[in-house]
Amino acid sequence: MMTTETVAIATGGRTRRRPHRALGRENLAGWLFAAPAIIGFAVFFVWPALRGAYFSFTKYNLLTEPEWIGVDNYTRMFADGVFWNALGVTAYYVLLNIGFQTLLALGVAVLLHRLTQSLVIRGIALLPYMIANVIAALVWFYLFDYQIGPVNEMIAWFGLDRIAFLGDQTWAIPTIAFINVWRHLGYTALLIFAGLQMIPRDVYEAGAIDGAGEGRMFRSITLPLLRPVLAMVLVITVTGAFQVFDTVAVTTGGGPVNSTRVINYYIYDVAFTRGDFGYGSALAVALFALLAVFTYIQLRATRANQTDLG
Amino acid sequence: MTMTSRTRTRSTPAAPTSRPRGSDTRLRPTRKKPSIGRIVAWVLLVVLLLITLFPFYWMLRTSLSNNLSLSSDPGSPLPVDFTLGAYRRVLGLASTEEAMAEGGSGASIDFWLYLRNSVIVSTLITAGQVVFCSMAAYAFARLRWTGRDLVFGVLLCALMVPVIFTTIPNFITIRDLGLLNTHLGIALPTMLMTPFAIFFLRQFFLGISREVEEAAILDGAGHVRRFTSIALPLSASPIATLAILTYINSWNEYFWPLVVGRAEEVRVLTVALGVFRSQTPQGGPDWAGLMAATLIAALPVIVLFLLLGKRIINSIGYSGTK
Amino acid sequence: MKTVQKLAIAALATSTLFAVTACSSGDAGTGSDGSGSASLRYWLWDSNQLPAYEQCVADFTEANPEISVKIEQVGWNDYFETLTTSLVGGDAPDVIANHASFYPELASSGKLLDLDDVDVDVSTFRDGLAERWVGEDGKRYGLPKDWDTVATLYNAGFLAEAGYTPEDLAELDWNPDDGGTWEETIAHLTVDANGVRGDEAGFDKKNVAVYGLGLKAKSGIGAFGQTQWSPYALANDWTYADKNPFGTEFNYADDAYIETIEWWAGLIEKGYMPGYEAAISGTSIQEAYGAGRYALVTDGSWNAKAYFGMTGVETGIAPLPVGPSGSRAGVMNGLADSVIAGTKHPEASKKLVAYLATADCQDIVAEAAVVFPAVKSSSDKARDAFLAAGIDVSVYYDAIDAGEYVDAPIANNWSSILAIMEPAVEAVLLGQGDADTLKQGADEVNSLFR
Repeated sequence: MMTTETVAIATGGRTRRRPHRALGRENLAGWLFAAPAIIGFAVFFVWPALRGAYFSFTKYNLLTEPEWIGVDNYTRMFADGVFWNALGVTAYYVLLNIGFQTLLALGVAVLLHRLTQSLVIRGIALLPYMIANVIAALVWFYLFDYQIGPVNEMIAWFGLDRIAFLGDQTWAIPTIAFINVWRHLGYTALLIFAGLQMIPRDVYEAGAIDGAGEGRMFRSITLPLLRPVLAMVLVITVTGAFQVFDTVAVTTGGGPVNSTRVINYYIYDVAFTRGDFGYGSALAVALFALLAVFTYIQLRATRANQTDLG
Repeated sequence: MTMTSRTRTRSTPAAPTSRPRGSDTRLRPTRKKPSIGRIVAWVLLVVLLLITLFPFYWMLRTSLSNNLSLSSDPGSPLPVDFTLGAYRRVLGLASTEEAMAEGGSGASIDFWLYLRNSVIVSTLITAGQVVFCSMAAYAFARLRWTGRDLVFGVLLCALMVPVIFTTIPNFITIRDLGLLNTHLGIALPTMLMTPFAIFFLRQFFLGISREVEEAAILDGAGHVRRFTSIALPLSASPIATLAILTYINSWNEYFWPLVVGRAEEVRVLTVALGVFRSQTPQGGPDWAGLMAATLIAALPVIVLFLLLGKRIINSIGYSGTK
Repeated sequence: MKTVQKLAIAALATSTLFAVTACSSGDAGTGSDGSGSASLRYWLWDSNQLPAYEQCVADFTEANPEISVKIEQVGWNDYFETLTTSLVGGDAPDVIANHASFYPELASSGKLLDLDDVDVDVSTFRDGLAERWVGEDGKRYGLPKDWDTVATLYNAGFLAEAGYTPEDLAELDWNPDDGGTWEETIAHLTVDANGVRGDEAGFDKKNVAVYGLGLKAKSGIGAFGQTQWSPYALANDWTYADKNPFGTEFNYADDAYIETIEWWAGLIEKGYMPGYEAAISGTSIQEAYGAGRYALVTDGSWNAKAYFGMTGVETGIAPLPVGPSGSRAGVMNGLADSVIAGTKHPEASKKLVAYLATADCQDIVAEAAVVFPAVKSSSDKARDAFLAAGIDVSVYYDAIDAGEYVDAPIANNWSSILAIMEPAVEAVLLGQGDADTLKQGADEVNSLFR
């Protein structure tokens, strides 16, 4: 059952030695299997990224030829207060969003796993993901309206002060985080749920025999075995959260007074609306570098390549 | 020998619906009273579901209202000035005058054509990703080849490539391939790979039991057979999950299809229904039409989910052991 | 070996599938289909004007059978980005509806074809419209399409309850010190939750049910303020820049501007105008007005129809107040049609643009009663069409005829100017900024031109 075979998963099968000819074939097979994906990656991700990196060293408004200006965009970036503000705003947003989303999604996934097998409930949980991000933002924008939105009407009905959810500088980012948690909760829960199903049932059975309660089993069995999937979910949701754009564009537009000017919105604003694609590219490269470092740290810290099965 | 291990897994009873507490009911006597913990858990779940559903209820109520009267009674829980006009506008059944009379967008919508286009594009993307990304994920997880981990690391970086970098170069690439205004052109950039799909599937392929695979090797199965006969069936659940999520994602894509697929024949539903959003500077959206459009556009995806859903919850095939 | 063979076959099969799919879907791209004939693409964003322009285009192609025109409607939010992408990607349209906010950039990047040799009589357009589209190099880049301006929209019910008549509104004056009779009226129209008016004792400014004046958030609130503070600043002997179009020194540090913004922000303090958080945390000024939260709103003629359409409120249009300069000042803006420089059919495109600027086409647009066309005769027809639809737009026309307007600024770097001034003015409205904030913004704006 849980023996040394499972340990072999963690090391990617290196325990077995294969004959030389088979190794060569495996090499070729590996490359061939991955080939379409690598081609797609090269054409649609690498090429644009390299082009973008090139533009970060130029002055370019998209409509005329780019003009090489060396590292000017980067020096400008370091002195740009709005840029640092944007990073801070985004970091705050990511903390709130991912913090709540991951905890809630974990909870929901476990609830779905243990409480009910109903497809309808899973469907309802996923429903917000089925509508476009922009629409979700528009609908909540209306619901949170200070003067005529139902949420504030309910608050006023209870005799409390109305809250300018998207206008008050202390509420704006948390509200945007809430809207995105609302939309992505079911999706994240579904990903984690898929991971929960990876855990063989006999592991729980053994735990139950040992007399462990639900909570104990969760902490000592579920969480550790869920680690690879959780790590993946974290990487994906964090990188996604850092690139939040639609919700801000549709609701606050970066305001009031830059309090919701997240980095991706600032980049878009600079690159397209203000026609300064070179500077926008430099900002984007900075964001990319930041995310790459962050992801690397995350993956190392969570040891995402290994499973604990065994 | 490989066959028996597969059938062995299949014969285990399906995920227990009558035993919601999982496997431990075998070992404990069935309780008559649910525990406090379960009640709390259910209450939390219900609260979450209510918060999830409230905006949809609001969308339904608004979609059945008359735009022009919406502001006059903003807090009403019932549709204001009930009318099916919005749905008629969305399905392309309303004339321009009727639409204008209700304060809606007067654009003409060839609904079924756009629906067809969305289905074609989303199916292309989903099929492509499932096939190519599972192949790649398998290669990264279970095959040994030079440069494997380095290539995987680099591929992961695609997650972080900023959006402003990709639109224009991809547009130029698609144009150079002569695929502007074709379904394939809209689908191609995401059809071959997305970092999410590969990362997601790789984690699951990593977890496949070694026993089963080694039995197959001893049987003389080549790489392709091991992939198609062992890895894929065992990963039916995560692959189904990936398929539904990819389908939803591609269904809701807006800007890329807008730019690459503007011709009527290939326009997708989200782009066409974008006409209900504000079209003029400082103008407002056609709220009723927009809400109706959103609800209708979500229907095919909901149907797909219900169809694929069983696969997603089916927890058996996965680990390959009992 | 076996694996490789299988994979090779799979690859071949898949690529065949691609080839088949690629061929069987829609048609790729546009282009001319042979000598003598031209196939043009015309872009616009307003879906409400689409039927009128389709008719225009149908008439045009009837008169010019060798030219075919396809109209593509792209919503405002996506318009400029889609245009830029297609310009860079080599798939640009031939003729576009142009807007002052992106026209300077297109012109200075050489993306617009000059229209000097187009046969058009500039005097047929209303005053001031055609000159706006002459570039810095003196060449003409657009032919006027329509015009718009700002006025006061009032809730007739609230007005009557407060004891005013529409004529009263036409005689108001304003000054930055005490707001004049304009502020008095606004105060009287403001009603708190207990029914106490803004100018009566016991007015609870924390608990207002109806605001005398509405506030529109964002929408160029910093540098432009067309529907927000421009009626006051421009009537205070202030101009946006040293010259228009293509000014290079903007006057956001002037006292006239600063005192206007400070007076305007003061209305929030007094409880006559909603706070900025409320205004930005809301869907739109129109919906709040429709819900009966505002008595007066200064908004543009392009939205008039929407205001009138809302059931539950009865709306009227009144002139703006007269300022210290002795006259009213609404910002007048307008659109034009332009030809993209890279077009494969310059002559045909010029013909189309010329036709779109004639009375024949603009009369059709006038009848749709959506906008005010630029050609004088068509413009008058629009006035009648609006009246037939139940909206009396004379206030807008009278203001322009009386010269009580200021041209909207057209300048290079306009988007950056907007982006710089917006947080500055927002800060002042939120009570987090003051005159210095505005002066800093002004400095940054002017440094763009040095």
